[in-house]
Amino acid sequence: MDRLAQTFSALEEDRVYQLVNECLEKSITPLLIVNELSRGMEKVGQLFKDDEYALAELIYAGEIFKEAMEKIKPLLLAGESRSAGLVIMGTVEGDIHDLGKNIVITMLECSGFKVIDLGVDVPAKKFVEAIKESGASLIGMSLLLTTAMDSLRNAIMAIEEAGIRNNIKIMIGGAPVSEHLRVETGADYLGHDAVEALTIARKVFSPSTVDAR
Amino acid sequence: MKAAERINTVINLECPDRVPLAPLLDHWAATYTGITNAELMSDPDKRFNAVLKTAIDFKWDMSFLAETVNTTLLKLGVPARLKLPGIDLPERSEHQFDEKEVMTEEDFDILESDGLIALFSKLIPRIYPEMTVESAMTDFARASTEITDQAAWLSENGIEPAVGFVIPGPSFEYFCFARSINVALTDLRRRPEKLKIAGKRFCQDMLDLAIASSGQNNISRVFIGLSRSSPVFLSNKIFEAFVLPDLEVLVNGLIDANRTPVFHCDTNWTKFLPYFQRFPKGKCIIELDSFTDIFKAKEILGGHMAIMGDVPSTLLAEGTRDEVMCYCKNLIEEIGGGGGFILSSGCSVPLNAKVDNVRAMSESIDEWGWYK
Repeated sequence: MDRLAQTFSALEEDRVYQLVNECLEKSITPLLIVNELSRGMEKVGQLFKDDEYALAELIYAGEIFKEAMEKIKPLLLAGESRSAGLVIMGTVEGDIHDLGKNIVITMLECSGFKVIDLGVDVPAKKFVEAIKESGASLIGMSLLLTTAMDSLRNAIMAIEEAGIRNNIKIMIGGAPVSEHLRVETGADYLGHDAVEALTIARKVFSPSTVDAR
Repeated sequence: MKAAERINTVINLECPDRVPLAPLLDHWAATYTGITNAELMSDPDKRFNAVLKTAIDFKWDMSFLAETVNTTLLKLGVPARLKLPGIDLPERSEHQFDEKEVMTEEDFDILESDGLIALFSKLIPRIYPEMTVESAMTDFARASTEITDQAAWLSENGIEPAVGFVIPGPSFEYFCFARSINVALTDLRRRPEKLKIAGKRFCQDMLDLAIASSGQNNISRVFIGLSRSSPVFLSNKIFEAFVLPDLEVLVNGLIDANRTPVFHCDTNWTKFLPYFQRFPKGKCIIELDSFTDIFKAKEILGGHMAIMGDVPSTLLAEGTRDEVMCYCKNLIEEIGGGGGFILSSGCSVPLNAKVDNVRAMSESIDEWGWYK
C-alpha cells in the first residue's frame, strides 16, 4: 500500500490507476485505498511547500485523485465517506476568476472535506444564505481583481449584519489580499496558496482548536 | 532628452537625464477621462483620446495604447470568450474572460502542420459563433491600421508608444486559455511531445506576425505576456522543457529583427529571474507587477536588461498619496540607481486607482527622478 502513496506523489498517473485496480482486485477495503491516495496528496502538498512542485503538479495530482476516486467511490459504504468537515467556497461578486478557488477545493476534497462550491461572482447575500442553510463552520472567499476588494468587504459585512459571524470562520485568498485587508475586514485567516488553505481547514476542524490563527 | 531617447537610453542600460515614467494604461483611461469602459473597449477614437489625455496630463514618457482593452485585439489574441462591460458585465466594470476548453487534442496537429491561422480558423467559430474568420481578419487589419495612426499621433505629442505588438506569450500561455488551464497543465504530462512540436510552430508564426506588425506601425518594442508560465504554476523542470525553448525562439528572433522584447511578468517570477540572464545584454525590458521581488531583479538582471515596474495596484487603488510617493522614491533610488529603470505601475493601473495616487508617480519623478 505504501507504494500507492509513493506512486501518487511521484505523479505516475497510469501506474496509480493500475495499483488502485490491483488493490480492488485483492479486495482491500476501499477506505484504505482512499487513505493511501490522501497520503500521496499530503506528500504532493509537502513537495509544493518545499518548492519542488508548483501549481501544475497540484492540479495534475487533483486530476489523478478524481479519476482514481471514480473507480473507488461506488464501492465505498455510506458510513465510510464521512467528511472531515464542511467548507463553503466562492469567488466574490464582480470577479469570475476561479482558478485559485478550484485548486483549494481540490486540495480540500482530496483530504476528505466536503465542499459547497458557490461558483464565481457570488453576491454577499448568497454567502449568507449558504452559511445559514448548510451550517458549515468555514467559508473561503477568493478574488483576483483589485476592484473586487469591496465585494469581499461587503460579503464579510453582510455575514456580520446577518448575526451569524460567530458561527463561521472566514478565510480569504487571492492576488490583492493582504494581512492588512484581513485585519481590516475581520477575516479569521489569510491563505496564500491551496496548501495553506488546507492547513487552515484542518486547524478549524481540529477538536483541540481554541484559536488557530 | 526627449521621451524616445530617454527610453532608448534605458534599454541600452545607460543613464538618461531622469527616470522615465510609463505606467501600463488600460481601463483607468476610462475612469480618468469619464468615458465608460464599454466605450473605451469598442470605440477606437474615444480610446485614443482617453489615452492621449491621460498620458499628457500625467507627463508620461511612454504609454500603451490601451491594447489590452482593445476588443478586437483581445478577441483575436486570447482564445477564450471575452465578457464585455456594457454587454455581459456592468458598463463600468473591467472585462473578463470566460475560459473553457475550445481547443481539442487534434487541433495540436492542425497547428503543427498548417500553422496559427489554421488553428485560429478552427477556434474562432467555437468561441464566437456569431463571428466569421473573414470578419476577424478584416477587424485585425483595421485595428492594425488604427494602431499605426495612433502611435504616430502619440509620438507627435512627445509620448513614446510602448509596444508595436502584443504576443500573448509562449505557446503554453496560449494553450492555457485555449485548452483551459487544468487541461493544459495536465497536457504537460499526458502529451508532452505534442505540446512541444505544436508550440514550436506557434512561436514561429507568432514571431513572424509580431515582426510584420511592429514593422508596419514602426514601434520596435514587442510585449511578451508571461503569467501562467511563472514559477507559481511551473516547476523549473517543466519551465525548462516547455517554456524556455519558446522564449528563446521569440526573444532571439525579435532581437535579430531589431525589436526589443518586453517581458510582461505577472505574478511572482523571482525564482526564474536567473533564466533571463541568457538573453542578450541591453536588448530587453523586464516589466514586473510587484509580486516579483524587484530588488532581487535588480541584483540578478540589473546591468543586463532594463527593469520596469512596479507600483502595486492595491497601493494605487487604496493607498495614500504619501505612501505612493514613498514607494516610488525607494524604487527610483534603489532600482533606478545608475540607469536602466522605467518607473511604472505593477501591471495595469487599476480601474479604481485614485487620481492623486497616479499623480504621485509623476510628482515622485519631478522630485527625485533626475540624475545629476
